[in-house]
Amino acid sequence: MIQKINEPDFIRETFIKFQKGSEVISELTEILVGVTPHEIVYSEDKMKLIHYKTTVKNPCPVPVLMVYALVNRYYILDLSPDKSVIKNLLDRGFDVYAIDWGYPSGMDRYLTIDDYVNGYLNNAVDHVRRKSGADKISLLGVCVGGTLSVMFAALHPEKVKNLISFVAPIDFETDKSLLNIWAKEMDVDKIVDYYGIIPGDFLNMGFLLLDPFRLLIDKYVGFFEHIDDKKTVENFLRMEKWIFDSPGQAGEAYRQFMKDCYQENLLIKNRMEIGGKRINLKEISMPFLNIMAEFDHLVPNESSLPLTRAISSTDKESMVFPTGHIGMFVGSKSQNEVCPKLAQWLKPRSKKDENNIGVKKNKTNHNKSKESLK
Amino acid sequence: MSMDESPTIFFAQWLKAWEASFGHIGEFPALGPSREKTEKMMKGYPLFTDLYSVWLDSVSDFANISLEAMKRMNDKTALMDGQINPVKYKEIYNNWIETYSDTFKEFLRSGHFSGDMGKFMSCLIEARKYNQEMLEENFLKPMNLPTSTDIDEINRELYSLKKTVKELNRKINELSQGK
Repeated sequence: MIQKINEPDFIRETFIKFQKGSEVISELTEILVGVTPHEIVYSEDKMKLIHYKTTVKNPCPVPVLMVYALVNRYYILDLSPDKSVIKNLLDRGFDVYAIDWGYPSGMDRYLTIDDYVNGYLNNAVDHVRRKSGADKISLLGVCVGGTLSVMFAALHPEKVKNLISFVAPIDFETDKSLLNIWAKEMDVDKIVDYYGIIPGDFLNMGFLLLDPFRLLIDKYVGFFEHIDDKKTVENFLRMEKWIFDSPGQAGEAYRQFMKDCYQENLLIKNRMEIGGKRINLKEISMPFLNIMAEFDHLVPNESSLPLTRAISSTDKESMVFPTGHIGMFVGSKSQNEVCPKLAQWLKPRSKKDENNIGVKKNKTNHNKSKESLK
Repeated sequence: MSMDESPTIFFAQWLKAWEASFGHIGEFPALGPSREKTEKMMKGYPLFTDLYSVWLDSVSDFANISLEAMKRMNDKTALMDGQINPVKYKEIYNNWIETYSDTFKEFLRSGHFSGDMGKFMSCLIEARKYNQEMLEENFLKPMNLPTSTDIDEINRELYSLKKTVKELNRKINELSQGK
């Protein structure tokens, strides 16, 4: 079938491309991510609460706390200045905080979902409320961070003014994602008992197996095709850094999440318990926005959509964007469609209201705020 | 029986014969001062044969699916004719990626794969756990070195203490705010 190869131009062009590519790569020093100015305002064990420097004079009085998943790192929300959900929201006048869960080590293997939701997340929320002077905050949970945020909002509705679920899995009874199919057959107890901290590489293997030919071959072929383009190379390396920057998972939290959510689907049935308390999604009555990605191969819409129906909020809305899971954070649609729509929904709901007392940080109101925080 | 299934079937038959003959010796009770250690070591044998068996199943599955993908690819490339130039190479590559990716995704989506993967993971972890226990038993403990079991006990204790301290701090804060 192959008769002859007679394309010297192609070979020469390829050679020039690789020569230029090697120059581009040798010029690169450090791959910077998460560069939006920020400070760490609270930390507890491995968890850090990050406060981003506001970019407008009078930001919205209700702060936004972004809760990223325990898998991979939060800085996908701030990958580079032109691909940053966080910067986009700051520029639109929001006061933004984010949680960095850190890298669990051996001593974290016994951390449970209760520790994450009623411990770390609750303390971070309280800190944001104290620092901002707002009684209630907007909680924006991303992916599994969205699942944790939903649990939190159901258990502590008095602290949440607005809830935004961003590509978050809630109903796990679906066969649209391979993760949901595979999880059913896993002997979670054996895995947790052996590893303690579930290695990030173990999870990465699962993610790569979702589409091995594209993720292990085609992606890199595409990279070499554009190796002479500095911007493409930088973006690729940033993504590559994020993809394989995978913290391990605290064993007990992983055990409960896999069994209660992926295997028994208890959350959407209002039968899941953490810290001895049942999570009733009907307790969620604050304004709610459910954001989904149409081509999400990790969290299919079938997994997120039922939440809109399951809660008792009257002010609720679902939005689906024509992109994939990661595209929601770093794709062009993220900056041009997702963030503007999110801001448009959130802004009118981020005003001070009568219930939101103690907002001003003057002396008189500070005490009042403290009282209401108890 | 296809070529790629033969090792699995052969191994199953061999194992059956082995367990009914020489392998049976391993199940005899051990004797003497090292009795306990010997018995523990002999317990590893079935774990590794199980692992080998499920590994063979996986290899056979992947061989079959690769064959299927190759057939599909063959059907597609048969339609391409003429001189192969670099543009066509790219076309072949795209076809190859698409065909293999789709074929493998079909397989990965099947209950057969998830069942086999579950079994494989289970057996792999059992075997690793056994290795770890043997390492602790035969090397670390006699050398009076800390084992992962020891460290895990400390981790559990630390977790519990940390939780108590946090709870006490919370109560102290509540009491001091109440003043």
